[in-house]
Amino acid sequence: MYWGGNPAECHPRHFTKYALMPKSKFLPRGRKDRTAVLVDIRPTKSAKAADIFLQVRPGKDFELITILRALIKDQKVSEEAVAETGITLEQCTDLIERMKKAKFGCVFFGMGLSMTRGKHMNSAALLTLAAEMNAFTKFVAMPMRGHGNVTGADVIMRWQTGYPFGITFNRGYPRYNPGEFSTVDVLVRGDADAAFIIGADPGATMPQPAIDHLARIPTIVLDPHVTHTSNLAKVHITTAPAGIAAPGTAYRMDEIPLPLKPALKSPYPTDEEVVRRIKQAIVKKPFWMPEGAQMTAAQV
Amino acid sequence: MNKLTLRLKEQPTVPLEAEVLSPDTFAELSNEEIRSKTVYHGKRQCRLDDFFDVDGERSDDVEIHGDLHRVRWIGREMSRGRITVHGSVGMHLGAYMKGGEIEVHGNASDWIGAEMRNGLIRVHGNGGGQIGAGYRGSLKGMRGGTIIVDGSAGLEVGMRMRRGMIVLGGPAKDFTGLQMKGGTIVLLAGAEIRTGAWMMRGTIISLKPIQMMPTFSYACRYTPDVLRVYSRRLKELGVSLPYAPQDGAYKLYSGDASVPGKGEILVWDALSA
Repeated sequence: MYWGGNPAECHPRHFTKYALMPKSKFLPRGRKDRTAVLVDIRPTKSAKAADIFLQVRPGKDFELITILRALIKDQKVSEEAVAETGITLEQCTDLIERMKKAKFGCVFFGMGLSMTRGKHMNSAALLTLAAEMNAFTKFVAMPMRGHGNVTGADVIMRWQTGYPFGITFNRGYPRYNPGEFSTVDVLVRGDADAAFIIGADPGATMPQPAIDHLARIPTIVLDPHVTHTSNLAKVHITTAPAGIAAPGTAYRMDEIPLPLKPALKSPYPTDEEVVRRIKQAIVKKPFWMPEGAQMTAAQV
Repeated sequence: MNKLTLRLKEQPTVPLEAEVLSPDTFAELSNEEIRSKTVYHGKRQCRLDDFFDVDGERSDDVEIHGDLHRVRWIGREMSRGRITVHGSVGMHLGAYMKGGEIEVHGNASDWIGAEMRNGLIRVHGNGGGQIGAGYRGSLKGMRGGTIIVDGSAGLEVGMRMRRGMIVLGGPAKDFTGLQMKGGTIVLLAGAEIRTGAWMMRGTIISLKPIQMMPTFSYACRYTPDVLRVYSRRLKELGVSLPYAPQDGAYKLYSGDASVPGKGEILVWDALSA
């Protein structure tokens, strides 16, 4: 089941390598043994690959998922209320039946769900639906990630700090509060007085007030290319492109770590080396804490 | 009792975490001790008098002047006394509060009275999101007390609240009363979409028509007796809630069926004269 994503065009190998085509011990006939459902606001190229296409009205994803959550518990929802989402009650009950009958259900959700009105609550709704489906059959939900190694960033932060994103260390220990400590919100409110950016281009993707603040404060960018962000940064350090000239580990969308071997040599240092050298230089500077103050492990 | 007056003399450049700004801290301390209390300016530990002029000592009646929009955690876990702020305040105003009173003549930010247990918070300007909410990962939001915001509010007001009352004079944004487990939210100017989503129990009263989630169902049109009690209590706080049968009645919607919950949304339906 794909929700608010277009894998045919955005993740072209997803169908053939992972989700639909592969043959296995329990699914010997591959595609024929699977049912694919696509939920989106318009028929995309992926709709052709799906057995069922449900066209939800824009901004009604949260409502539709909430209806499905009610229906799997045999709660009554009025037909008119369901119809407002652009999908009929009949289609919903049919979908629920198929979901419950499935041996192993998997929901992939894309930016059409997580980046429209409701944002994190839309994703939360779908994850809750998948969790509740486990009362009937095995069900999981997974985000379809966009950029290179965002999963890696989440995974590493998770095992290092216990939280995936939106973390502050200012008290010497990690604290988590998306909305308060997440990058966009910090920049929009103007709460940061310096920015250090590795392997991202917020200058191209973030809202204008955030970009304006990046231009106001000392911004340092580590990137193999000149990006929108480096144009407004005070310092740009060119680094070797990871996976091509710099070794490392990337995490696949399903959180499988993949070691990367460099194919080429680069005259530029790797991100890791630059960060290590910056850290060495900071250690040489006079200690920033007031005399006699206690320092915790995370501040070292 | 003597008053303790603080005046912001230097605007912090990054958020200032000042949970020491609470009557519980100041009640037993001399002026010098209050000045030397630690506040966190980003990661740096500073003295309170680096940012504030302190006038007075040993008081649980605190008055703060200045634009405090970057000052967070004011009145955290306070259990007594009074804080009056003339100016705007930052996030987490009165979080985990156990008693006493906070009055803000200005705007407040997100997480007003988050997970509070008792006491009164009054904001005369606009509020932010997550008023009286539970922190991320926490199961329960506010467990008692009253929050009154005269102006508008942001997302997820009263998220996972368990008991207590939130009154909003202005409009609220999406997800008001999200995953509510009890308590009351009074919306004098309505809210945007998804009000009462996933609510288990509790009451949302709206005086303006609001868009209902599809998982809520219309039950009846009546005025519950408890509204008279609410109305009397709110009158003391300067808020009027209609309940007289000649003026109209409330439409009761119950839900959210997806949880499935026993929450109720009451929408005022005035009789046209």
